[in-house]
Amino acid sequence: MTLKTFRKGVHPHDHKALTESLPIEAVPIPGTLLIPLSQHLGKPATPVKERGAEVMPGELIGEADGFVSAKVHSPVYGTVKKIVQQPLPAGRMSDYVEITVDREQTAEHVWQPRELDWDMLTRETVTAGIRDAGIVGMGGATFPTHVKFSPPPTAEIDTLVINGVECEPYLTCDHRLMLEHTTHLLDAIRILHRGFAFKKILFGIESNKPDAIEAVTRAAAEVTDAPIEVVPLKVKYPQGAEKMLIYAATGRTVPAGKLPLEVGVIVSNVFTLSALADWFLLGKPLIDRVITVSGNGVQNPRNLRALVGTPFARLVEACGGISDSVVKVLAGGPMMGVALPTMDYSVTKGSSGLLFLTDAEVPAEGNCIKCGRCVDACPMNLMPLTLAAYARANKFLEAKELHLNDCFECGACAYNCPAKIKLVAWIRYAKNYVRVHKL
Amino acid sequence: MSTQVEGFVLTSSPHIAAPSSTQRIMFTVVLTLLPAVVMSVFYFGMRVLGLYVLSIAVCLATEVVCKLLRKRSPMSITDGSAFVTAILLVMVLPPAISPIALALGAVISIFLGKEVFGGIGYNIFNPALVGRAFLSAAYPVQITTWTQPNRFFSFLPASVDAQTQATPLAAARFEGVVENIPNLLLGQTGGSIGETGAAFLILGGIALFALKLIRWQNVLAFLGTVFVLTGIFHLIDPETYAGPVFHLFSGGLMLAAFYMITDIVTTPYTPIGNMIFGAGVGLLVVLIRLFGGFSEGVGFAILIMNALTPIINRYTNLKPFGYVAPTEAA
Repeated sequence: MTLKTFRKGVHPHDHKALTESLPIEAVPIPGTLLIPLSQHLGKPATPVKERGAEVMPGELIGEADGFVSAKVHSPVYGTVKKIVQQPLPAGRMSDYVEITVDREQTAEHVWQPRELDWDMLTRETVTAGIRDAGIVGMGGATFPTHVKFSPPPTAEIDTLVINGVECEPYLTCDHRLMLEHTTHLLDAIRILHRGFAFKKILFGIESNKPDAIEAVTRAAAEVTDAPIEVVPLKVKYPQGAEKMLIYAATGRTVPAGKLPLEVGVIVSNVFTLSALADWFLLGKPLIDRVITVSGNGVQNPRNLRALVGTPFARLVEACGGISDSVVKVLAGGPMMGVALPTMDYSVTKGSSGLLFLTDAEVPAEGNCIKCGRCVDACPMNLMPLTLAAYARANKFLEAKELHLNDCFECGACAYNCPAKIKLVAWIRYAKNYVRVHKL
Repeated sequence: MSTQVEGFVLTSSPHIAAPSSTQRIMFTVVLTLLPAVVMSVFYFGMRVLGLYVLSIAVCLATEVVCKLLRKRSPMSITDGSAFVTAILLVMVLPPAISPIALALGAVISIFLGKEVFGGIGYNIFNPALVGRAFLSAAYPVQITTWTQPNRFFSFLPASVDAQTQATPLAAARFEGVVENIPNLLLGQTGGSIGETGAAFLILGGIALFALKLIRWQNVLAFLGTVFVLTGIFHLIDPETYAGPVFHLFSGGLMLAAFYMITDIVTTPYTPIGNMIFGAGVGLLVVLIRLFGGFSEGVGFAILIMNALTPIINRYTNLKPFGYVAPTEAA
């Protein structure tokens, strides 16, 4: 059987063996949570709790500011200690709500299953639920999910694509979720299907996760009220990128600069589905997630379920500490993640990984030898070497005309470059210049 | 074990890289050249080994001097590209070339062929061919003086140019005598040091394909163009024009196919650009071989197409995934 995939791309070593067989474990409830109000793309949420206010699990602490924004909820019983400004891993400043946690009371709290009236599920009620639960794209982009599920009336959505690809090396949280909470995920799909009546529901999983493919296939066979089809995919990075996955699973090409709904598709990450099922079946908003803590620099790599706002230091403790040989800390995966200057950050809705690398050789950039390996790697079929050369020469308009803005910074080009040129950094520089100067 | 460490490395994503490097690419190319290099020593004697050593030494020294003059690190010689140039330069010269001429050619290759443009990656022309072009002007007699190889494969029939002291291409062009193919394949004919023995170059070429260091597009376009064009002329007038198989395996064609038109720096970087480049070289080779003043034209054909590489690149930019042509402005 030939596995489906997209064109071009690269094959980095996946390092998933470190954690792929480790069951999800919960991090002990921390004494303090630091919850950013900007955990999503779009406008930050506005704080609704004053200093000193008592909060309980699932209670709103940040209200969505406009349509492209997301609500933020308290994961615990506790007291709002203060609201502080701190940087997010990507560098932007955000308001953080600091909560002093009542650990005992929180430990006793259990989310009770609630009776779901399946007949009242419509497109509107499903979307409203997603918004109320504060769900954002948990694959990393953190785009508010209700926006995705609010297509204009003119758009004909016929296909739902589930992203179980997890193509970033090291990360295994999606993999574990698919194995351990298979029915929960399928319940989420059934709920979405009630609202949207998809013609096709394609569940894309890369072939390096045969157990997940088997588990989902077996569970999907039991589902009678949604047309779920598992699509095993060839292992290749960046297959989890929305446009690449749509092409691999459906054969459809999203026009450059357009959204998936242009070709009748909505894509959803498995964690996003899990959060959706949490809301509809348990009344639990998005207040926790699983994060893979891995890399050679961490004592015991783990897949940890952590409350949103858990300081990274608590994750490190739960993994037995890190070695002195750690030279690089990454939030996210090694291809698109962000290098952190310190560990003074906390878990957000988009935290998929926390990696401790012991080998962070930073080779000097060599001369471009025009080998074209970046061209062979680029899933968007761009010319990274030319874009980088234009950026270096401050020829931003020329770069824009060569489709600079179609780059989504997956890193495949720089990964492949024998001269170790920081292609993504140059391209990002040009993109920023073009955006700021409105070229 | 600690929970807090400061001073982490901060760099932009991606944070991992494929285990490839310019150095690795260059030295792999050198390795794949070895079968042909070793055979060239068998064909033309130990003197040839000395020529390779001399060429490498002069190329490296020239690069060091150039780098020091430009106030850059001379450690660039470890990238291996000077080795490739040095070896290829010897391979495209006649066995009787004098050490002085070779040394001069090596200086020109590195200095005028590479360093004046800013070093590796910035050069327009294939450095080894720049050196050869210089020598064909500076030493016109030496560069067309041919010696016969040792009869290493004694079971083969005698070479047709054993008496004429010419290359198979010259014999075919000016005397109408066509060399037999086994002699061409196994290097039992006159010719440049590393260009005879097509079979051993093909061996290296296969290795390059297997290691994904060269693309099939340019090689196929090149060989296909030569085969088809020489084939057409051979069909029209077999008396005047030798057959296509003869053309493929004679002269510098196989060396060019796997090591010159596939040079990453001086050829286009998209598959379609490579095809245009390969076909262009093929066309020029056939024109020079059949109608030009020389019996062989691979070197000049490549240099001409090298000059066209930037413009080919400019017109073969790829269209992005999902590209939609801008609609007519209303």
